[in-house]
Amino acid sequence: MSAYLDIVDVVKSYGAARPAVDGVSLAIGKGEFVTFLGPSGSGKTTTLMMIAGFEAPTSGDIRLDGRSLVSIEPHRRNVGMVFQNYALFPHMTAAQNVAFPLRMRGVQRAEQQRRVAEALASVDLQALAHRHPREMSGGQQQRVALARALVFAPDVLLLDEPLGALDKNLREQMQVEIKRIHREIGITMIYVTHDQTEAMTMSDRVAVFSNGKVEQIGSPLEVYNRPANRFVGEFIGDSNFFAGRVDPSRPGWVELAGIGPVRIATQATAPAGEVEVMIRPERLRLATGGDTGGADNTFDMTVDDVINYGDSLLVIGKTRGFPLRARMVGGAADGLQPGAALKLAWAPGDAHLLPRPPAERDSAV
Amino acid sequence: MTRFSDWFAWLVLLFLAAPLAIVVPMSFSNAPSFQFPPPAWGVQYYRAFFADPRWLQPTVNSFIIGAATAVVTMALGIPAAFAIVRHRFAGRGWVNLLLLLPLTAPHIVLALGYYTYFGRLRLTQTYLGVVLAHTCLCVPIVYLTLSAALKGFDRNVERAAMNLGANPWRVFRHVTFPMLRPAFLVAALFAFIQSFDETVVALFISGRDASTLPRKIFDSLRTQADPVVAVVSTLLLGIVLAGTIASRLAARRRRVETPA
Repeated sequence: MSAYLDIVDVVKSYGAARPAVDGVSLAIGKGEFVTFLGPSGSGKTTTLMMIAGFEAPTSGDIRLDGRSLVSIEPHRRNVGMVFQNYALFPHMTAAQNVAFPLRMRGVQRAEQQRRVAEALASVDLQALAHRHPREMSGGQQQRVALARALVFAPDVLLLDEPLGALDKNLREQMQVEIKRIHREIGITMIYVTHDQTEAMTMSDRVAVFSNGKVEQIGSPLEVYNRPANRFVGEFIGDSNFFAGRVDPSRPGWVELAGIGPVRIATQATAPAGEVEVMIRPERLRLATGGDTGGADNTFDMTVDDVINYGDSLLVIGKTRGFPLRARMVGGAADGLQPGAALKLAWAPGDAHLLPRPPAERDSAV
Repeated sequence: MTRFSDWFAWLVLLFLAAPLAIVVPMSFSNAPSFQFPPPAWGVQYYRAFFADPRWLQPTVNSFIIGAATAVVTMALGIPAAFAIVRHRFAGRGWVNLLLLLPLTAPHIVLALGYYTYFGRLRLTQTYLGVVLAHTCLCVPIVYLTLSAALKGFDRNVERAAMNLGANPWRVFRHVTFPMLRPAFLVAALFAFIQSFDETVVALFISGRDASTLPRKIFDSLRTQADPVVAVVSTLLLGIVLAGTIASRLAARRRRVETPA
C-alpha cells in the first residue's frame, strides 16, 4: 500500500524532558482506518495534533499525498477533526455549526444549505437542525461534530477519543455509525483512543503507542495474537507471561523457568535465547481425564479466585507458584470454587514467544 | 437556622435600602433645604435640575467621561488579559501584579499624584486628564473580569474553528468574540460605572470645565445643601434600576426562546 499520509520520524519535545513524541514513523494508506492506541501520555494525541497543525514537530516531516504539511497553517490543511468534548460553537445552531466550514470556504448560500441538509441527514439529525448544542444530548452533539468535520470533504478525518464522554450503549452505537461513514465515504480516518475494544473492533490497523514511540503497527488480530513485545501484549487483552529459554539444540521446545520444558510451535520470527512466553487466558482449556497426551502441554492450577463475567469465567490462580489466569466459556467451569485444583491444557500453537527486555534477564531464569 | 438567616437577609436589605427611603421622598419635597419628612410635595427641584446647565453639564460630562473611560480601558484590558492568560513570557508575573496595583492604592493617594503630575502636563481640568486617571482605576476591574472569563474558555472550540478553515482573525470574529461577548459587556459596564461613580480623583483634577456629576453633588452639598442633589440621586437610582430590570428581562426572553 502506498502511503497517503506519511509520518516520517516525527519528534516533538517540550524543553529538556523526554520528548512527548520520540521518532514516530507511520505510513497510512488512502481510505484506511488506523487507530492510535496507547495509555495517556504515550504521544498519540500529540501526534494527532501535529497532523491537524495545532502543534509543530520539533523534527521530522508529515506528508499528505506527497506534499509536506508541516509549514501549512491549520486552517489551510483541509483535515477534519472531531474532538473529545465535541468543541461545538455554543452560540450557533446545529445547522450553523455544520455550515461554518462551508462559510469559511465561501461556498454559495444555496449550495451551503444543500450540503448542510445532506450532512445532517447522514447522521440522522435533520429534525434538530435548529437546536443549539446545549439543547442536545452528548450523542447528538457528537453527531453534529461528525457532520461538521465531514461536510467540507476533508482529505483525512482525525478523531480524538470522540466517544470518551459517552455511556457504553451510546458508544457502541457511535462505533457502528463511524464505521458505516468510513465505509460509505471511504475517507482516511485516524482514530485516537485508549480503549482497546474500540481499537480492535473498528480499525484496519492499530498503532500501539508507548512513551512517545510506536511499539507496533498491524491489523487488530496481528497485534493481539503476535504482539511485538511485552508492553503490547499486556496493553491489549489479558495474558500470562513466563520467562523461558530457547535451546537451539532442541527445536520445538522451550524451557520455562521453574516449570520445565514445553512444546512451542515454531514461529517465523521467533527470538532466540532468553525469551518470554505469552499465553492468552482463553487459550487454556480444561484437560478432561487422561486425553492430554499427544502434543498438548499441561499446567496444574490451584484456584484462588473465580470471577463471573456472565458470558465467561475468569479463573485466577497459580501453577507451581507462578500466577496464571484462564478464561472458561460454555459452562466448562461452572461451580468452580477457590481452592480447587485443575489440569489445564494448551496446544504448542497457543503460545507466542517474545524477546525478553535485557533488564529482566538477570533476575528471571 | 433558616428563620434566622431569613431575618438577617431582610435586615441587611433594610440597612442597604434605608437611605433610598429617605432620598427618594426628599427629591419630591417643597422645602428650601434638606428636610425629612418633607413638609409638602412637589416636583420643583426636578424642574430646577433640567433647567440648570450647572447641573446638566456635569451630567453630560459624566456620561462622556464614563463612556470614553470604558472604551480606553477595554482597548487596554482586552489585549492585556489575552496576553497574560494565553501566553508565557518573561516578566508575566510582574505585569500581572502591575495591572492590579491601582486596586491596592488609596484613591486619595492616586488623586494627589495625578493632581501634581497632570498639572505639570496641563491635563488637569480636561476630559483627557479625567479619562486617563479613571482608566487607570478601571484597568484592574476590566482585567480581572476578562481574565476570569478567558481562563474558563475552551481552547478546543477555537482549534475546531481553525481546523474548519477559519484564519486567526475569523476565529476571533466568529467564535471567540461572540462567545465572550457577555464578559466584554460586563467588563465595559463595570468600567463605565466605576468612572461614573468616582469622586475623589474627579474632585482633584476635573476642575470646572470637566466637572463630573459626583463632583458637582459634592460641591453643591458643601455650599448650599440644595435638594436637587436628592433629585440627581433618585434619577441615577432610576437609571440603574431600569438597566437591571432590562437586562433581567432580556435574559429571561432568551431563555424562553431557546428552552434548555
